Amino acid sequence: MIIVDDVYKRYRSDHGMGKWVLQGVSFTIPPKLNVGLVGRNGAGKSTLLRLIGGIDTPTRGLVERRCRVSWPMGFGGGLAASLTGRQNAKFVCRIHGHEEDLQDRLRYIEDFAELGESFDEPIKTYSSGMKSRLQFGLSLAFDFDVYISDEVTAAGDAAFRDKAAAAFQALSDRAGLIMVSHGEGTLKEFCKAGIWLHEGRAYWFDSINDALTEYKKSLHR
Amino acid sequence: MALSDGPANVQNRNSERSPASIAWTVWKALFLREAVTRLSAGRAAWVWLLLEPVVHLIFIFVLFGFFLQRVVSGIDYSLFIATGILGFILARNTATRSKEAINANDTLFTYRQVFPIDTVLVRAALEAFLFLISALCLVTGLGLFGYEVFPHDFLQVLLAFAALWMAGIGLGLIFSVASQLIPESGKVSGMLFGPLYFLSGIMYPPSTIPPAYQSWFLLNPFVHGIETVRTGFFPQYHTIPGVSMGYLLAFAMVTIWLGLALHVRFATRLVAK
Repeated sequence: MIIVDDVYKRYRSDHGMGKWVLQGVSFTIPPKLNVGLVGRNGAGKSTLLRLIGGIDTPTRGLVERRCRVSWPMGFGGGLAASLTGRQNAKFVCRIHGHEEDLQDRLRYIEDFAELGESFDEPIKTYSSGMKSRLQFGLSLAFDFDVYISDEVTAAGDAAFRDKAAAAFQALSDRAGLIMVSHGEGTLKEFCKAGIWLHEGRAYWFDSINDALTEYKKSLHR
Repeated sequence: MALSDGPANVQNRNSERSPASIAWTVWKALFLREAVTRLSAGRAAWVWLLLEPVVHLIFIFVLFGFFLQRVVSGIDYSLFIATGILGFILARNTATRSKEAINANDTLFTYRQVFPIDTVLVRAALEAFLFLISALCLVTGLGLFGYEVFPHDFLQVLLAFAALWMAGIGLGLIFSVASQLIPESGKVSGMLFGPLYFLSGIMYPPSTIPPAYQSWFLLNPFVHGIETVRTGFFPQYHTIPGVSMGYLLAFAMVTIWLGLALHVRFATRLVAK
């Protein structure tokens, strides 16, 4: 369960504090529920994911994680460009305390990502789709209760999206997913509930379809 | 082979890792990662790591060795420079490399268990490790050329190097926070080591400084470390009065304490955007 309680967030810039990105956002995500985040560009979707993932702190308010939450995957974050896919994977395994079964995890990541020989090439030679495959494989190699994905499926091809969806179907009895995506199909495929972010506030919908409807209505207003 | 499904796996996942064990695994992983990055950066990066003090030594030796006296305070000039350079390089490299640690490892803070301070401390540890290797190579090389390279007080030399390293960590901790919060301060701290290079008695013995100015000269903590290395190395070497390990150790302790305090105080600011 993840509790977001009255969260405010604004960023510090060179010219003092920026404008509020999130203003009094509150919701609770129950266990094993897949949630999609929708909202226009700059609505604060990635910010909210970073706060839920615990890699940034809210300016005011509280984010409470009562379960194991993955790091937010997306945009090549957490991968060192000069190191190979394998070296990056080893690092992530080690910091998650999997020194003993390192080889098993590596094999899983390698199988899932299907990068072939590129797995031993530096990340800077990867396409964005290849990075997504690696990131998704990396996070699935560990037992999290909630996985956070920031547009990570967007760069993947159809085969990869099917594979990721199937993997999440298999996990759905014990893990949840919080994802940001601009692909309506992707959201409907992966998610059940939805959160619509609009003008710094969050609106909860039990059905992702309602969230998408509301989001699209706001675009034409 | 799906590792991440099935109830068996859910039970034996290690969700009860203690904070200390998490920090330890992060340090180990970061160390290996930093080492790989350092040693695989560019062609034959490790050669340059080993050559840095050697090139330095040859440069100063050619520049000054021919003009100045060949013997300083009863010891050979090249060994005199070698001890000075090694001491200074250790402190400077530790400080400057760990200063950049936070910036260079920005992407890693995606993982909650990695803190900015981890990257700083691990870089300092790697710097000490690489220093040991390159110092060993330099000393062995000089030994093969027939120089007397065995220090007469090994423990004192080791202690002096350790204190110089700790002073480097202290400065690195402070600079790493400062350069994140006030980017301009990074440039200032970078310029600091230029003058210090000439003010640390690397290529001239401090006894050549007029006694009236020696007390100013001794404000520089690196002088104390480098001179202690030399007195530990050469039994016949005469340093100036006022050189004390206590001063350097106190400097190291104060800067490390201040650096750690800054890291604690600004922990969230360093990660937050």
